[in-house]
Amino acid sequence: MAGAIIENMSTKKLVIVGVILLLFQAFSFMVGGLIAPSPTTAVHYLATKCVDTVKTHHKGSKWFMPWGPDQCSKIRDFDEATAKRIEANNIVFAVHIPLPNREMSAWFQFMLVILQLDIAFKMQNPIDDGALVTLDVGLAYRDSTLSEWTEMAHSIEHRKLSCNFTATKTSENEGRYYDCDLLPFMEVGSVAHKYYLLNIRLPVNERKKVNIGIGEIKDIRLVGIHQNGGFTKVWFAMKTFLTPSILIIMIWYWKRITQMTRPPVLLEKVIFALGISMTFINIPVEWFSVGFDWTWMLLFGDIRQGIFYAMLLSFWIIFCGEHLMDQTERNRFSVYWKQVGPIVFGSFCLFIFDMCERGVQLKNPFYSIWASDVGTELAMAFIIVAGICACLYFLFLCFMVFQVFRNVSGKRSSLPAMTKARRLHYEGLIFRFKFLMLVTLACAAMTVIFFIISQVNEGHWHWGGYTVQVNSAFFTGIYGMWNLYVFALMFLYAPSHKRYGGEQSSADQGGNSGEDIQLTTTITHVDGPTELYKMTGKEAQE
Amino acid sequence: MCTGLPRTACPLRLIALCILLSHAAAYFGLTGREPLVFLPGPFANEAPNGKAHLKQCEQMTLTRRQKRLCRREPGLAETLRESVRLSLLECRYQFRNERWNCSMDGRGSLLKRGFKETAFLLAVSSAALSHALAKACSSGRMERCTCDDSPGLQHREAWQWGVCGDNLKYSTKFLKKFLGQKRVSKDLRAQIDSHNINVGIRAVKSGLKTTCKCHGVSGSCAVRTCWKQLSPFQDTGHLLKYRYDTAIRVHSVTNSATGETELASPRRHSNTVPRPRPTELVFLEESPSFCRPSRYSPGTAGRPCSKDTSCSSLCCGRGYNTALHLTTLSCHCQVRWCCHVECQTCLREEEVYTCKKH
Repeated sequence: MAGAIIENMSTKKLVIVGVILLLFQAFSFMVGGLIAPSPTTAVHYLATKCVDTVKTHHKGSKWFMPWGPDQCSKIRDFDEATAKRIEANNIVFAVHIPLPNREMSAWFQFMLVILQLDIAFKMQNPIDDGALVTLDVGLAYRDSTLSEWTEMAHSIEHRKLSCNFTATKTSENEGRYYDCDLLPFMEVGSVAHKYYLLNIRLPVNERKKVNIGIGEIKDIRLVGIHQNGGFTKVWFAMKTFLTPSILIIMIWYWKRITQMTRPPVLLEKVIFALGISMTFINIPVEWFSVGFDWTWMLLFGDIRQGIFYAMLLSFWIIFCGEHLMDQTERNRFSVYWKQVGPIVFGSFCLFIFDMCERGVQLKNPFYSIWASDVGTELAMAFIIVAGICACLYFLFLCFMVFQVFRNVSGKRSSLPAMTKARRLHYEGLIFRFKFLMLVTLACAAMTVIFFIISQVNEGHWHWGGYTVQVNSAFFTGIYGMWNLYVFALMFLYAPSHKRYGGEQSSADQGGNSGEDIQLTTTITHVDGPTELYKMTGKEAQE
Repeated sequence: MCTGLPRTACPLRLIALCILLSHAAAYFGLTGREPLVFLPGPFANEAPNGKAHLKQCEQMTLTRRQKRLCRREPGLAETLRESVRLSLLECRYQFRNERWNCSMDGRGSLLKRGFKETAFLLAVSSAALSHALAKACSSGRMERCTCDDSPGLQHREAWQWGVCGDNLKYSTKFLKKFLGQKRVSKDLRAQIDSHNINVGIRAVKSGLKTTCKCHGVSGSCAVRTCWKQLSPFQDTGHLLKYRYDTAIRVHSVTNSATGETELASPRRHSNTVPRPRPTELVFLEESPSFCRPSRYSPGTAGRPCSKDTSCSSLCCGRGYNTALHLTTLSCHCQVRWCCHVECQTCLREEEVYTCKKH
């Protein structure tokens, strides 16, 4: 690919394009920071301890409500249960999502629940090493406060306790709480109903060693995380706006390529593929999740993102390779198998991992790959392999970039000695490469910086009367940035039209045919180097 | 104390909330008037029609504004009771080895003065209420918790859009409204009390722990949600006990610029008026020894103590009696969650030390 728009563009025009893109970039940050609320909300829930009496069995409904008109009979703590001789199997922890006077909405997109156990230290009842909690969980939904609960999922789950006690284990410190890790509990990929109800039991079976040695559980706390409706709306709006813009530039780009006499080269194809994968992310299919109960949307989103990342990484490698400026013939995808291989393999590993976690969660929302030992090892294996692939990839990339720079400096010294056609050609290549290198580095740095800020920061900043949602700004800003990156790439690296200028005739070319042959072998083969045409044209004028 | 209020009947001996002296602030919890011989009974399974809380509100001695708040919020009465229970248990635990063992007998007289103990009672009460409110919110017992105070948006829209605050922010705000903290009188005692109440609220806030969960693509940290989590009330109690131990004595200073009375701590020497830090408990006068029975406490006579550690200080130099007791203990227990305990009874001879009367 030679003679891209970027080379033939005047500096002034390039600056104008850059400023426009920067304006859009600032706008996308502002949309997230000023309009959208924070991306997600965490709501605390304290489970109500209900008693499953024989009486309630006869009533028909097996669901226990923590509050409201049909609330269950409650106990305050387990001392009361001991006094009343209530057995563990008859205690039901009930949590209603959301809290009173609120309702869930499809705009919340997903619902993630985390389990926290309040376990008090007792000399006579400590937590055993590697204790396993067995939970009998049920999830039900309804759409009006009057209708019956409909079961959504029911499962027996195991979670490994990992708790430590900071104080010394003496009778003096009895009653203090252990410091326990968070336990993954539930993940639902769509919030299609208004009310959800969780009923959790901790069945005890001494013979089978179920729930023995789990310490004195005082309370069950849950944290429900969902995406904020406001953020979802802003996000959808952004996607809906970005889809046509990328689509239009993509069509324009492809038209330009097909207008050429030669078939498209590899780099052009890869840029086009990058555009396709960007559009694939952009297409706002999530609009459907507002109307339909599509729990696979979360998984689908992961896959789309994965495809885009893999495409972007492959693009960088191929771009470097095509600008190597050594004497080897490339322009075939198979040349890059060594570098693209790790990307494909790594993303495949992550895909399998995601299928094991979020894929299974489509069937059983309580499933977590981290809950079992085998699952944890498997998950770790996938992640480690993906990590190794990523390291390998970056080594390749760094090596290639280094090679390009070495070749560039080598060419630089010999540039004055070259003929004008060659010189212009190499200068174009170097400029093109350096420009992309700079932009890519800037984008990557922005991503990393904003990521760190959003991790360190509390989530929002106050500036005078305004509250800036840093996390939302991060998401919309970075998303907008990579969209603009792909947009700019397709626009600036599209083949230039200037070759179709009237003075460039095949007769002009004849005089420089020797040079031409040499050039086509050194770089990307048949694509007619525009600089050459330009140069020959200029020479003719002179 | 509470001369401004007629002694209303309190059949269930619920929390007494009263107006201390002529202060604008009304107190609650352990700083109430009636003797706290109760611990709330079984959990109220209130009637479904939701009228039960009105009765509970009437039973408590509340100011008119507090009653209005109590009637408006069905879960509040229950939460107030819970907060008293929480603060009392914690106070007793923290002062189990002190001369003043958080006995509620001389509480009325104690609250009229400006001792360190008064400061602790105020702080622990406000901390417990703040803690209990946040907990009640998350268990769904309180209905108006966070979204009510978002301006411009209706409750429902605020929740759907996602701009509701968290429980603790709400509970602090509510507490200030409930206690009438917005207008603090110029009286020195009122300022001290208000300061100590804020110390309690701050103690709960400072115990908040931020916990995060990553849930991005394949569980990566590209998307991360953090929330603040209440620490167990024991930790708050522990912190307040430390504040009690390091409490500072203050006096009043008239600010020459505004003519208002301000609190001043004597310790720091600088040109500006040294104000007590917002985390410090402050008191006005030195505490009595609490050794002998007085208006403030029943004294330490007859208090059990441990020989090596607490006896010398607890018995105020009067010495202690040693007695041999044969006690039955439950031992070799087999405990199963939740409520099944199988124990053997063991007999053990124990030496019990109690402080002498004279």
